[in-house]
Amino acid sequence: MPSDTRQKVMRHIDIVGQLQPALHQPQHAPLPTAIDNAHFRAYMRTSHDVGGEPDVSIEWHEKEEEQWELNTYVTCECLAWRGVWNAEERRRRQNVDLGQTQYLGLPYYGRWLLSAARIMVDKQHITLTELMNKIDEVKKRHE
Amino acid sequence: MAEKHKPAPMVDEVSDFEVLEVAVRELAIEKGLFSAEDHRRFAEFAHSIGPLPAARLVAKSWLDPEFKKLALEDGFTASKEVGIDWLNPTGFGTPSDYCDLRVLENTPSVHNVVVCTLCSCYPRPILGHSPEWYRTPNYRRRLVRWPRQVLSEFGLQIPADVEVRVEDSNQKCRFMVMPMRPEGTEDWSEDQLTEIVTRDCMLGVALPHPDRKADDKRPVHKAANPVHGH
Amino acid sequence: MSRGHHAEKATGKGDPQCFRGEAPQPKFKVGDRVRIRDLPDIFYTRCQVYTRGAEGVVAVVTHESPAPEDEAWDNVDAPEWFYIVRFKQKELWSEYPDVYANDTLQTEFSERWLEPV
Repeated sequence: MPSDTRQKVMRHIDIVGQLQPALHQPQHAPLPTAIDNAHFRAYMRTSHDVGGEPDVSIEWHEKEEEQWELNTYVTCECLAWRGVWNAEERRRRQNVDLGQTQYLGLPYYGRWLLSAARIMVDKQHITLTELMNKIDEVKKRHE
Repeated sequence: MAEKHKPAPMVDEVSDFEVLEVAVRELAIEKGLFSAEDHRRFAEFAHSIGPLPAARLVAKSWLDPEFKKLALEDGFTASKEVGIDWLNPTGFGTPSDYCDLRVLENTPSVHNVVVCTLCSCYPRPILGHSPEWYRTPNYRRRLVRWPRQVLSEFGLQIPADVEVRVEDSNQKCRFMVMPMRPEGTEDWSEDQLTEIVTRDCMLGVALPHPDRKADDKRPVHKAANPVHGH
Repeated sequence: MSRGHHAEKATGKGDPQCFRGEAPQPKFKVGDRVRIRDLPDIFYTRCQVYTRGAEGVVAVVTHESPAPEDEAWDNVDAPEWFYIVRFKQKELWSEYPDVYANDTLQTEFSERWLEPV
């Protein structure tokens, strides 16, 4: 098995395991010379590609689904059913495009939900203004 | 509506996820991206799915070698015999689960276990919604590299001479495991056999046992506003 | 392209069945030894990094479909054959214990990711 690619892959998996979402640490755009190719690759890593990253053992849990989670799943599937997106577009948006911090920080169906909102704006089915106004209106119903 | 076991909250607090979910759904319907009836129909489907059809597929396979052959060769067609048409509910399937079911046969020398490292691909139409642990980055990170350690955390020790085969489900195929029929189930009916083929057995993190009709008890995270009608 | 083109194409057939017959002849068959190419990581893929450069054996020739890298932007013009490849765990992870030398992992690739060994 030893080959140049395999060594690079193993180093890559080591580095991405160290990349954590930046929550409290100030980040400064580094000089180009500060980013070698191994780190460039680590930053380009698609955030869903976690297979083989070291992690500690955890307790396995079950979970009740929130009503909004099931509704979100159904909305996403209806958007695909009626041709607004396909499942691969949805996966790209909800598992990769939103970036490492949101990817690891939000609940599973929270990411589905954000990607559904985003596709409607990106494909110009709604304006962001309409979305903001609607959110505001829905919130007011509960005041 | 006030719930029985906890006092009614002072304010009707609603989460930002709930607000956004309502906003997105209402806008999609107002703009004609899909209809309220589409949403209702798909929700009905989403409520109806669970692991029983897959369990029946396994039980049938244990009893009928011809059906077993079909299940292993053509999961899509075999599913119809346990009441699952993968083209439902849209006419071309559920968009996220596609229509290519592959059944992985456990043998005395091979034990299969399923993961999706990239998201949580899962054969929903025949197995229902995925469990929480299956969706965690932790399971997805570790199963492909330390499968025996992860399986032992599920209480499963696989002998060293048995090949543990991890299936990383990453494209349009969807996978379920067909476990081996356990001893002590001779003369059992299809219904009896179906009862011991639990969800975890069909993911490969458990094995069926004549005395075991439910998956191991694990901590359950309660929902603030759980799905109605379950 | 109009909204709903996928539904029109796939209704009554399913996906990936709706792409049947659209890919060129498959380059690999069951039993072929293949190596996973290390194509650039940029924006999207479903080819896991942990498989890159590893050698395995084609276990199943599955179906035709657009590659995820294309379909993720709704481009379905060039379907390819897909293959489930079986790897020895030891090939993927050098620290994998020798006592479990039989252990394997399978995952699926579109044809562009495979090269013959």
